[in-house]
Amino acid sequence: MRTPAFSIHTPHTLDDAVETARKLTDEEMEFDWISGGTDLIPNYKWGINPKSHVISLAAVEEIRGVSAFRIGAMARLQDIVESAEVHPLISEAAASVASIMIRRSGTLGGNLCLDTRCFWLNQSETWRRSIDYCHKCDEGTGADCRVIPNQNELCVATYQGDLAPALICLGAVVHLASSAGRREMPLEQFFQEDGITRNVLKNGEIVTHVELPESSSSMVGSYQKLRQREAWDFPEGGVAFAVQVDEQGNISGLNMASTGFESIPRSHKDLVDSIDMGAEWGLEAKRLGVELKRTVRPVLNTWFPPSYRKKMASVLAKRAMEEAAKRITSA
Amino acid sequence: MVGYRQQPGKLDFTRPGSGGSSSVSEKREPGRIPESQGGDLLQPWGPHRHDDLITGRVIGKRTPLIDSKWKVTGQAVYGDDIRLPGEIIGRLVRTDRHYARVLSIDASEAESIPGVLGIATGEDAPHAFGVLPVTKDEHAMAVEKVRHIGDIVACVAAEDEDIARLAANSIRIEYEDLEPIFDIKDGLKDSDNPIHDRGRYHIGESNVQKRVFQRFGRIQNIGDSIASHEGSWTFKGVNHGFTEPHAVVAHWDPRGRLTLYTPQQVPHYVHRALADVLEIPMHQINVYRTFVGGGFGGKSDPFPHEMCAAILARKTGRPVRITFDREEVFWTNRGRHPSKISMAIHADDEGRFSGIETDALIDGGGFASFGHVTTYYNGVLHTAPYEIGAFHYTGARVWTNKPASGAMRGHGAVNSRCAVEVGIDDISEKLGVDPIDLRLANLLPPHSATITGFRITSIGMRECLERVRAESGWDEKFRKMPLGKGIGVGCGFFISGSGLPIHWDPNKFPHATVHLKIDMDGGVTIHTGAADIGQGSDTVVAQSVAEVLGLPMDMIRIRSRESDTSPVDLGSYSSRVTFMNANAAVSAAMQIRSELIAAASEITGVDEKRIVIGDRRVFSKDDPSIGVSYLEALHKAQEDRGALVASGSYRTPPMGKMHKGAAAGLAPAYSFSAYVAEVDVDVETGKIKVEKVWAAHDCGKALNPLSVEGQIIGSCHMGLGQVISEEMRYGRTGNLLNPDLLGYKIPTVHEMPEVVPIIVESNDPEGPFGAKEAGEGPLLPILPAVCNAVYDAIGVRIQELPMTPDKIYRAVESTCRKGGFESPLDLPSPRLNQTPLSKILKERGAQHSIRDRERRLKSEPSAYHNGALFGNDPETPPEELDPSWHVQVLPDEEYLEEPGLAGSAWLHTERRHRGEGR
Repeated sequence: MRTPAFSIHTPHTLDDAVETARKLTDEEMEFDWISGGTDLIPNYKWGINPKSHVISLAAVEEIRGVSAFRIGAMARLQDIVESAEVHPLISEAAASVASIMIRRSGTLGGNLCLDTRCFWLNQSETWRRSIDYCHKCDEGTGADCRVIPNQNELCVATYQGDLAPALICLGAVVHLASSAGRREMPLEQFFQEDGITRNVLKNGEIVTHVELPESSSSMVGSYQKLRQREAWDFPEGGVAFAVQVDEQGNISGLNMASTGFESIPRSHKDLVDSIDMGAEWGLEAKRLGVELKRTVRPVLNTWFPPSYRKKMASVLAKRAMEEAAKRITSA
Repeated sequence: MVGYRQQPGKLDFTRPGSGGSSSVSEKREPGRIPESQGGDLLQPWGPHRHDDLITGRVIGKRTPLIDSKWKVTGQAVYGDDIRLPGEIIGRLVRTDRHYARVLSIDASEAESIPGVLGIATGEDAPHAFGVLPVTKDEHAMAVEKVRHIGDIVACVAAEDEDIARLAANSIRIEYEDLEPIFDIKDGLKDSDNPIHDRGRYHIGESNVQKRVFQRFGRIQNIGDSIASHEGSWTFKGVNHGFTEPHAVVAHWDPRGRLTLYTPQQVPHYVHRALADVLEIPMHQINVYRTFVGGGFGGKSDPFPHEMCAAILARKTGRPVRITFDREEVFWTNRGRHPSKISMAIHADDEGRFSGIETDALIDGGGFASFGHVTTYYNGVLHTAPYEIGAFHYTGARVWTNKPASGAMRGHGAVNSRCAVEVGIDDISEKLGVDPIDLRLANLLPPHSATITGFRITSIGMRECLERVRAESGWDEKFRKMPLGKGIGVGCGFFISGSGLPIHWDPNKFPHATVHLKIDMDGGVTIHTGAADIGQGSDTVVAQSVAEVLGLPMDMIRIRSRESDTSPVDLGSYSSRVTFMNANAAVSAAMQIRSELIAAASEITGVDEKRIVIGDRRVFSKDDPSIGVSYLEALHKAQEDRGALVASGSYRTPPMGKMHKGAAAGLAPAYSFSAYVAEVDVDVETGKIKVEKVWAAHDCGKALNPLSVEGQIIGSCHMGLGQVISEEMRYGRTGNLLNPDLLGYKIPTVHEMPEVVPIIVESNDPEGPFGAKEAGEGPLLPILPAVCNAVYDAIGVRIQELPMTPDKIYRAVESTCRKGGFESPLDLPSPRLNQTPLSKILKERGAQHSIRDRERRLKSEPSAYHNGALFGNDPETPPEELDPSWHVQVLPDEEYLEEPGLAGSAWLHTERRHRGEGR
């Protein structure tokens, strides 16, 4: 396995970074951002859309740092796990990522911008040549999608980041920067339904940090993740659930989000809004699980078959709600 | 600071002749000297022929592997660590077609790339090779067809890896695509283009590579059973998943000799294959075995890439190194065969196994590899440890357009053993008895013959079962735990070395040879060709020699790497090394020992028969103060001749019956094991967590308990992978979807249960100091133990491995639907209602226990042939007395009217019998 050669740029400030990107764009050079590299470099080694320029964010001080309401894009996942200030739901989700070695390298920004994955894509070049490539990395062949043939519009590769659903539940706002300026949006609006474009980032734009509302500190939640092995494996499905609990123990502001089922993580706010607060929680959890099962649309491109992942969506949702309830009671 | 930073001079090396009165001399440990030799070591299984060689030094002691410090300090040189002056990089050009005829290869663009030094294609190596002499069907590079994605078409050598990869991608190949087959069942059908052509031996026009038919015993009585189990299993293919990808360096020296550096389990076969392919005599080749980063059967074939490296090195005149990507490891594969096995087990009214009927169709992928043997092993290796009334096996191996299957730890025995042991669990439930009681009442005794004629010598099966039963708290847990919690038992049986050396007559040449050389310094150099692949074969040979000569381990050094200096050894497969190679080492050491004793007798005047060897000292056993140091005896023995040299070897005794295929599975000894596994199943998601495993293995004698335990724990991990998560998964297009270690799910530390290794020592009469194998057998029981525990937990049997959560969930869902349960959490867990048969079995088990104890302690026990339990005369082979006792290796017409799946391979007629073919 060889990493294809590329030129690396190492800006020291955010302004430098977006300026470097602008220059490369002006020169019509293709480039990628790199933070921890745990996703990008393996893809490069497989020959999946490697670029000749890479801009490293390792030296950009401004986008680091972990605190209760602001997490920098360059914050290492393991630092998030170990931070005493970060919301426990975020730490829980971060702790379920890959392995400790990968978490020490991988970052929040990298996890949010994780490339989508697919059995027909994450393979070597000889392998992909044997299926005449696919839509997402067609090597100029104009290849079709191999998961759902004859639809050359959307890429259905699966988004398998763990942090997004937890952050969405807590009401996180993502901040972006480019040479054109800065902007921000609720995290769920950051993602765009397509396995190729994946999110709203424009060429030359990066995630700088996520911001959490102060109210998130009184939220209690749980993240449930489905996978074959308890380390390394990406989520085959993940559901986060969080509720606002006031000092009297009254519950409001429910939220639920999922990952690993589709090409983007998704908020299920509309589903939880239907919860009948008067009904028995266990039964509502079960009902909501069934609702979620009907909502998610997994396809056959990861380890578990889609029918199973769909069914597990209901178990994950139920367990997330039950676990959250347990945590509220014990707190 | 300890470890390798320590100054070598400060290590406590022993002085060679300082035995006896020296302060660094170690006292003889009576607890390690057998009681038959006057020591305190209890021998509940009786004395052994090697007892008088025991000096109480190292045998039975927990001994760190002698090469471990090289590994932990990073100084071990593996295949890819070899660096030679002027070395260049080779890269294999692999096909992107499933099955195609190669029409043309255009290398002109690649040749023009600066830095490209050599390109080779199939034309450069027209000779076929293969690990078994009967099925040589591989070439260095495709000569006519490519047979699976990743098959090698050409190879290039270049100044560096980037150029080599670029060049490999620049070679243009024109193909004519052929219709590929992926489904194992399609392999049974006639085809326009069979994947290989076996000439006059071709079976029909099909893709059947090998077929086996066997019927032994009273087949006609199978119908009289009162309980039967019928299972229909699907086993996915698994890969060895070793750490080190294949790597090789080939170098032609200035004299024109080839040295091939390769992490090989079986250097001798590569040696032979290289001579064939390169058309040079074997004496012009030196095969150098580097450290091996895990083999497990996956590095035991001679490989095309090894040939390619040698061919490129010859073309370019430079040393050529080839290292695989992980994906190439999966494409080379040789892992366990994907199989479809139907298994029927029958029990009669006395709780005896009146018959086992097995039909195994195994998927060989593109090449034969070890498949000829695997086809037999899938049947014959489950004819023990139980006494059976009848055995009917049909097996077939087919070619498909996938990477070749081959030998993997537990070769050929694992899948069908799982089916048998799960079947016994099911039968015991149908009979209303405890499955351990059922097993204990049906075991073959020591010194017996199986239904197909294997010679069982020592057998510790009963003790294994009794130990795991007691230590796991079985009687309090089995069928008594709540939903989701379960416990299960499984047994294993495996060969300790293959009785038949495939390249020569076992009655003429030995299986293993060991040379010893001792010069004036007193250190012993051992030359052996046995390949240490991490299992500790170097250590065990060193231990054997150290024990016999009464020397500390630091006085023993091993030279086992090069075929130039090592005597021929068959290599590390079929769990043969400890048994055969240590026996050869003991026999060589015995010669040196007698020379030392003769020399000591000459110096002291004590009769040779009264002299023993202790810690670096040779002395009178009547008065230990009369004696000489080891060095004194050695130097006396060296007078007039210099260094002492000795050669020892091991050959299996004549064994087995005469029917076709009788040699398959024949071994000088067999290992036995029994595991109990406790699991926790999440019924809502179908996820299994194996919590704890009690693993008892009968290895005859643990020469090194530390490494036996390591083998048991490692086997548990490897077998566990096959049960819960590992599979080579092929997509709808026939592509291997997970040729990488993220997609190929080897259990992590989170999935690994606590393993309690339990060593049972049955003291094999022929094994070195009583030892048998411990490397492969311990893998077998973990699969059925977990399957049976899952049943105990949730009452669902899944006959497809791996039991990934989706499969368990699907089964749980269908059970709920059938039983009318709303939620999986309402499922009942199975319970046991014991029937009167239980008592009969317990009594028979107790009687057999006494029988076995008597037989193992008798110096000349009477013959015992399988079938005695069914009323036959134990001392005569049943077929000699009972005309209705089958010994049948060809199907009859009646069978062919309604054959099993694999059995249907016999519907084809070989070309030679049709009067066709060359």
